[in-house]
Amino acid sequence: MPTDTRRITGPETSRSPYDYCQIEISKEENQNELIKSDKKRKDGRLAAQLRPIFLKANVISQARGSSYIEMGQTKVICAVYGPREVMRREDFSLKGQLTCDFKFTTFSCRQRRQHQQDNQEKDLSVQMLEALEPAVCLHKYPKSQINIYATVLQNDGSALSAAIMCASVALATAGIEMYDLVLASSLGVLNTVLLVDPTLQEEENIANETGKSPQNAGTMTLAFLPSLNQVSAMTSDGQFLFDMINKSMQQCIENCQKLYPVLQQCLVEDVKEKANLTHA
Amino acid sequence: MAGMELLSDQGFRTDGRKPNELRRIRFKKGVFKQADGSAYLEQGNTKVLAAVYGPHEIRGSKGKALHDKLLINCQYSMATFSTQDRKRRPRGDRKSQEMTMHLKQTFNAVVLTELFPKVQLDIYVEVLQSDGGNYCASVNAATLALIDAGIPMKDYVIACSGSFVKDTPIVDINHLEESTAGAEIIVAVLPRFDQIVFIEMNSRLHEDHLSRVMDQVMNGCKDIFNILNQQVKDELCKKAAIDKLVDAG
Amino acid sequence: MADVDLSEPEKVYILHSVQENLREDGRGCEDFRHMEVETGLISNTNGSARVRLASTDVLVGIKVQLTPVDPKKPNVGRIEFFLDCSANATPAFEGRGGEGLASEITAMLTRSYSCFSAIDYTSLCLLPGQQCWLLYIDILLLECGGNLFDAVSIAVKAALFNLRIPNVTMTKDEGGIELDVSDDPFDFKRLDVSGAPVIVTVNKIGHQHVVDASEKEEACSLAKVMLGITEKGTVTAMKKEGSGSLDSESISEMIESAKNVGIELNKCLLNILKEEEAKIEEPVGFLR
Repeated sequence: MPTDTRRITGPETSRSPYDYCQIEISKEENQNELIKSDKKRKDGRLAAQLRPIFLKANVISQARGSSYIEMGQTKVICAVYGPREVMRREDFSLKGQLTCDFKFTTFSCRQRRQHQQDNQEKDLSVQMLEALEPAVCLHKYPKSQINIYATVLQNDGSALSAAIMCASVALATAGIEMYDLVLASSLGVLNTVLLVDPTLQEEENIANETGKSPQNAGTMTLAFLPSLNQVSAMTSDGQFLFDMINKSMQQCIENCQKLYPVLQQCLVEDVKEKANLTHA
Repeated sequence: MAGMELLSDQGFRTDGRKPNELRRIRFKKGVFKQADGSAYLEQGNTKVLAAVYGPHEIRGSKGKALHDKLLINCQYSMATFSTQDRKRRPRGDRKSQEMTMHLKQTFNAVVLTELFPKVQLDIYVEVLQSDGGNYCASVNAATLALIDAGIPMKDYVIACSGSFVKDTPIVDINHLEESTAGAEIIVAVLPRFDQIVFIEMNSRLHEDHLSRVMDQVMNGCKDIFNILNQQVKDELCKKAAIDKLVDAG
Repeated sequence: MADVDLSEPEKVYILHSVQENLREDGRGCEDFRHMEVETGLISNTNGSARVRLASTDVLVGIKVQLTPVDPKKPNVGRIEFFLDCSANATPAFEGRGGEGLASEITAMLTRSYSCFSAIDYTSLCLLPGQQCWLLYIDILLLECGGNLFDAVSIAVKAALFNLRIPNVTMTKDEGGIELDVSDDPFDFKRLDVSGAPVIVTVNKIGHQHVVDASEKEEACSLAKVMLGITEKGTVTAMKKEGSGSLDSESISEMIESAKNVGIELNKCLLNILKEEEAKIEEPVGFLR
């Protein structure tokens, strides 16, 4: 593996102290259900309830378009650059190129992340790209590339769906022509319970639960183009009984539709703000 | 001390061969459809795949092109599971880079490069299982792949290794002999011209023994040549016969 | 992947033929191409398999190694996937050219196998909290003829079936427990692969979808859905790929066919592997 030699990395064999105490924590917590007796989750939400969202466009002045999203404690900032010329001449194509860079900041997770993209981040970059690509009118940008950089400032679950929505708003504010906005939603499934917009803890609990042979235990993320009624990305981790997949998919689409006005409102406000600026 | 066991008092080696005996050679040409030429070769437990692409337009920067002859591009890589202990990377380490260079030099000597100016030929070698003699098996497999691709060559290039144990030269050495015997000589030759295109020796060997080992290794090369040539010819004759039948029918 | 350049009429031809449920090579939409599976051909490994699916060629070797457990998961063993795109497949893979594709395939495999029912991870743990087996699953892509994900996953499952993990005897010593790995080649244990998934890729072509797409068909398809499916029909991973989007009904249809094909594929594979094992012939490998 190529490593960045300019940075001082920790010793190769070091481990976070959380690794060791987590054994104790998870033992206790697995006994607790994800949903308590009053039908509420640990953070007080109902199973089908989304977290509150804060969304703001145009937060990075250097970028062509940008946005910042908070879904509960998950915080993602995203910048869009371009369309700009393709650097290497061999890469010229009549269709524009879209690139995505998904990165967790080193401090965003409980365990420190490395500066270089690891495999999970590369995988998420590809998933993000595939979610956004169907929405962008790439044929309008021949010989050029559009770069999207999504940075997770704090990860508290559903980071991919937050990043996809954030990037879609950033693309819109950058004035990139799109067929539709891209919405995304995540779902945690444990046996017959569907947990909408899971937190990191819920995601981890579900991942650890798989050891005890439950029927369903996994997470699903789905990206959706609401006015075209098309699914642009869909991924799942963990184990699903087959019938559960359709059910979860419908639930995700429903949630996406709920989020549509939030993104629209954010864009409207951004336009208003810009209009005010030009008037003044 | 290891030398004691490498050759028994009865004159047999650890795997039961006589000093001048080769390992079993089996091969098949044209194992892949997409490559222009390909071959799979086994020498004992060493198993190698070679593929040839080209001659084709230069890939990447045009600056690499040679105005008067063919550019030969090689890549040697070893599957991560090919060795006893797992390899971390299939290629890019010093050893494979060196091997890549050696292969390139070897084939530059034998391919009629002046016939194809300004174009490129790719030779890719993949070691699937390694039990000594990787270079030799790679060269032999690549030769077969070149024949399969129909690239004009002066002659076969045949490579063989040898060593010296208990006052006896041994030929086509396996991994155990490679790592314990001491001196190792690797030779690539053009068998019909009696020319050496590549020679390498590791460790030390007394000058007096050198010619004896060399003779033995050259004999080994001739033997390998005969085995390969026989099968290549047989296959060709068979194919020609079928073609004739098709033409007639 | 070798570049496939199709002209418009060729694309239309493939599109129409898929519509008629009679593909260009004569298959129906849910048929696989001819496949050969062979196990145990690399003696330096603990388990190996080669799969040839039409012209797609994959070789998998598994090596086992003793390693300290991951403190986060002290009771289970680990597996690690590594895929090398050999330049033999196409010159584009030379140097580091195949790394993008490789990481995509390994990511999908890792996810398919990340669920605990896939293989018995606890049986790979020797001393809870201390030592476990680490399976290095190394995949070598030798030729690309479409449908790489499925071929790779089949080869991985076959190699896991072939895997022979040496038995370990533990003796209590002063200052700890001593592990002694048996070097007798006939003293081994096998791994239960009945829960191991295979990946089934469904390509959307026109209004229809096909499984086991050839390279030409892949070039006509804008979107595909991949599913990791076990013999029982459980989905262990799912992913949509490609630059197109799909409506939810067609996704439902696609995963439905993926499930049916996947269950069948798993059964056939296991039967073939058992049949092959019963034979005593030496593997022929590439000499066929």
